[in-house]
Amino acid sequence: MNEQLNEAPCGYLTLSEEDDILSVNQTLLKLLGYNLDQLQGQPINYILSASAILFHQLYLVPLIKLENQIEEIYISLKSVDDEEIPVLLNAVQRERDGRTIIECVVIPMRKRNELENELLIAKKEAETALNARNKAYADLEIAHETMKMQKNKLIELNEKNEKFKVDTERELGLAKKIQETLLPVPIINEHLEIQAYYKGSNQLSGDIYGFYQIDAQRYGLILLDVMGHGLSSALITMSLHSIFERLILKGSEVKTVMKELDDHLHSLFKNTSKSSHYCTAVYLLIDTDKREINYINAGHPSVLLQDINGKQYELRSNRPPLGMFEDILFKTNTVTYNKESMLCLYTDGVEEPIGSDRLCSLLKTYSAAPLSALKEEVIQSLRYEEDTLQRKDDQCLILVKLK
Amino acid sequence: MNPNILLRNNVKIRGRGTRPMIFAPGFGCDQNVWQSVAKDFEDEYHIILFDYVGSGNSDIQAYNVERYSTLDGYAQDVLDVCSALDLKDAIFVGHSVGCVIGMLASIKHPEYFSKLVLVGPSPCYLNLPNDYYGGFEKEQLLGLIDMMDKNYIGWATAFAGTVMSNPDRPELKRDLENRFCSTDPIIARQFAEVTFFADNRKDLAKVKVPSLILQCSKDVIAPSAVGEYIHKHLPDSTLKVMKATGHCPHMSHPEETIFLIRQFLDEFPTNDL
Repeated sequence: MNEQLNEAPCGYLTLSEEDDILSVNQTLLKLLGYNLDQLQGQPINYILSASAILFHQLYLVPLIKLENQIEEIYISLKSVDDEEIPVLLNAVQRERDGRTIIECVVIPMRKRNELENELLIAKKEAETALNARNKAYADLEIAHETMKMQKNKLIELNEKNEKFKVDTERELGLAKKIQETLLPVPIINEHLEIQAYYKGSNQLSGDIYGFYQIDAQRYGLILLDVMGHGLSSALITMSLHSIFERLILKGSEVKTVMKELDDHLHSLFKNTSKSSHYCTAVYLLIDTDKREINYINAGHPSVLLQDINGKQYELRSNRPPLGMFEDILFKTNTVTYNKESMLCLYTDGVEEPIGSDRLCSLLKTYSAAPLSALKEEVIQSLRYEEDTLQRKDDQCLILVKLK
Repeated sequence: MNPNILLRNNVKIRGRGTRPMIFAPGFGCDQNVWQSVAKDFEDEYHIILFDYVGSGNSDIQAYNVERYSTLDGYAQDVLDVCSALDLKDAIFVGHSVGCVIGMLASIKHPEYFSKLVLVGPSPCYLNLPNDYYGGFEKEQLLGLIDMMDKNYIGWATAFAGTVMSNPDRPELKRDLENRFCSTDPIIARQFAEVTFFADNRKDLAKVKVPSLILQCSKDVIAPSAVGEYIHKHLPDSTLKVMKATGHCPHMSHPEETIFLIRQFLDEFPTNDL
């Protein structure tokens, strides 16, 4: 090898076709830390790092065979101390002196290698960050879409709800009117006068009453208060109404009426203890000829009976509310009245705001007045109390003047 | 004849014979590596050369990351070509990773193949302690991938991106062709990972087609121990140790390669060792 090449500012080596080292210049020997005789005849793998051996076999060998040259290849050599030396390699395969040899030039690129390592790391980090960002965007898109869908669902649901609410309110309004159609008109004749006042709570009513002229001398007067109010109680009132109307007009006995109503409530809720309803009830069978009242009060507030002198009697409850206990034995009570007596029946929607004392005193005060006047007075009192209290319960009042 | 596959895999057909002989390149290369060997069989055989999708002049647009994330995807390329040409009883000649690709193809459709010639095969490159000697430690293989990175293999900006976005600059494409056996660099990077971290040892026993293993002396990629392992587990296999050294005898020692293949194909009486 000529001196210029031997000491050139780059490594130079030649290989045989089988990749055995033929010659190495001084620069490269110094770089690797070998003497020439240590390397001559050795396979190239001797001075390649482990990964470089693979890379050489896989890429460089076929490439040189096909193209006869390679350029700017990054590869790492291995020094005598097993140190890896990164180099840039150019090689060419040619005929020289009748044999095929591979001529290689290597330039160490330690600094450049460090820079490239940094670049590679930065590139990978950038890729990772980009992927993460893209994924985040994609996730955000999905979340956004999901939210949009949910929002639309909510809007739809809301509209449905609104419609349902409007429809239901309308239905309830109608139902309330239907309930009210069942209420009787006042009875006024030479034997008695019956007036009623009714005001349902905001929802459907759990109170129902009825008064009927059964025959020339008998009248049936019934007041029921089903526990609660609202749809379920209202439906029960309708159910009970059809039963008591049938029984009363037939002229059934008081205890029969109560028993059948009681049985009916039990049968309605036979299979479900959860939804059982009970109701307080009072039924009066008035015989204007005999001046006699047969009655049963099941759990209801006492009925007031006032005679002509203003003396007041209470027709008290002596049975539990209907539908509460099974197999109750109903016993009819009887009381007689004289001329110009009065009866006052009410539900607790009336009693609670005004109090039974006030009712009693009103009854006394207005005993001589027309029944309608007394009714007005009670209504006024209720309205007065109403301003301060919220009306929660149905209010029902029946006044009877027995002549 | 499916013209789409023939175009996709850059299939070239030569030869005056009727019996088909299909050549599968090794890692990182295209059909050109078979020039010397294939030429010798042109008179008697129907020679089929092809490139894997992503290599050589194949249709790079057909590359699909999911499909080619395992060697089965590459085996499917072979099967697609066989099916497109309606091959029967073909002789399959594979190099390096092409050997495993061929084996996988023959497991799926043994009817396409009559014989397998495996040049420098390896079913697994990793050393698995107490279990198997593949020749390489994980660090070495990772170092290889690293070296590929440093040679800009897998860098979009350097090669493929430039080519794709500059169709009016054909000199760039030529430039690409001159490097690394004209495999698309990004694909080459993925192909390397797929190849070097694959483990197809369990597939050896499933191969039903008789095969010839050509083991080079001093082959660092597919060392002798690996050749012997394959011979032990591959049913109906013949192992021939070559005088040729290195990993690419079909390029460095074509005559010996041709001789051994012809011998296997029963053209001369065999001298069994």
